[in-house]
Amino acid sequence: MARAAHPQAMQPKKPGTTRTAPPKMPDGFPGKGRYRTYVAFETTGLIYLLMGFIILRAIWQLGAGEAGWNGVMDAYRNPIMIGFHVLALVGVIFVGVRFFWLFPKAQPPRIGPVRPPPAAILKGMLYSVWIGTTLVMTWVLAGGAF
Amino acid sequence: MKQLLIVLEPVIWFMFGQGIMIGTILLTGWLIVVGVGVPMGIFPADALAYERMHMLGSNVIGRVVLLGLIVLPLWKGAHHLRSLAVDFGGGDRDAIVGSLLYLIAIVGSLLGIVAVIRL
Repeated sequence: MARAAHPQAMQPKKPGTTRTAPPKMPDGFPGKGRYRTYVAFETTGLIYLLMGFIILRAIWQLGAGEAGWNGVMDAYRNPIMIGFHVLALVGVIFVGVRFFWLFPKAQPPRIGPVRPPPAAILKGMLYSVWIGTTLVMTWVLAGGAF
Repeated sequence: MKQLLIVLEPVIWFMFGQGIMIGTILLTGWLIVVGVGVPMGIFPADALAYERMHMLGSNVIGRVVLLGLIVLPLWKGAHHLRSLAVDFGGGDRDAIVGSLLYLIAIVGSLLGIVAVIRL
């Protein structure tokens, strides 16, 4: 069996002789039209990275004991922290809506012998899982169960 | 370094993809209750009392969910910040910026594993 090729195996060892224009950013980047949405989508990366570490700290303190966890809860009542969490919630919803809009468009015509479901069904499935999981997590965390 | 990032690309994209999809799905409920609802008094504070949260988080399902809440956003964040850096003229520095961001995600992920084991 042939081994997997390196992703850049077909790249020439030295640049070709054909002159090419130097790359430049398109008009309107980054603040206009579709570029604004695209940049906003990428910028949510900062929110996600911070959220990962904020939750890491919370769980670390949960493992450390009651005093540590209560300290986290006190910090979460700080207006700045609430403001950041509201911003993060808006960012997360924005990412979800955009990604679930893009997901059906990114599907190949076939996955092996199977055709992916139509876009509307795929989107419906994604939103069902998202809304369903959010409702269950909200219900459990807010004290509705256990 | 650039070569290593290219070889690791399937792993990075897998974690990034899960970060966008599953990370977003998990973060929404967490933010509604833990980030906003309880601190603003919309939900009772008792819901996030230490004993209850420890009970919810220390079983197998709880540990997996909490690990997902820590690890997946880190990878989504690291990869999107790398893309942002490239888009804003950092193509020449991509190897170092990308490596640094993924290193942050790796360290955070390892600490996340330790954090959920400690529960």
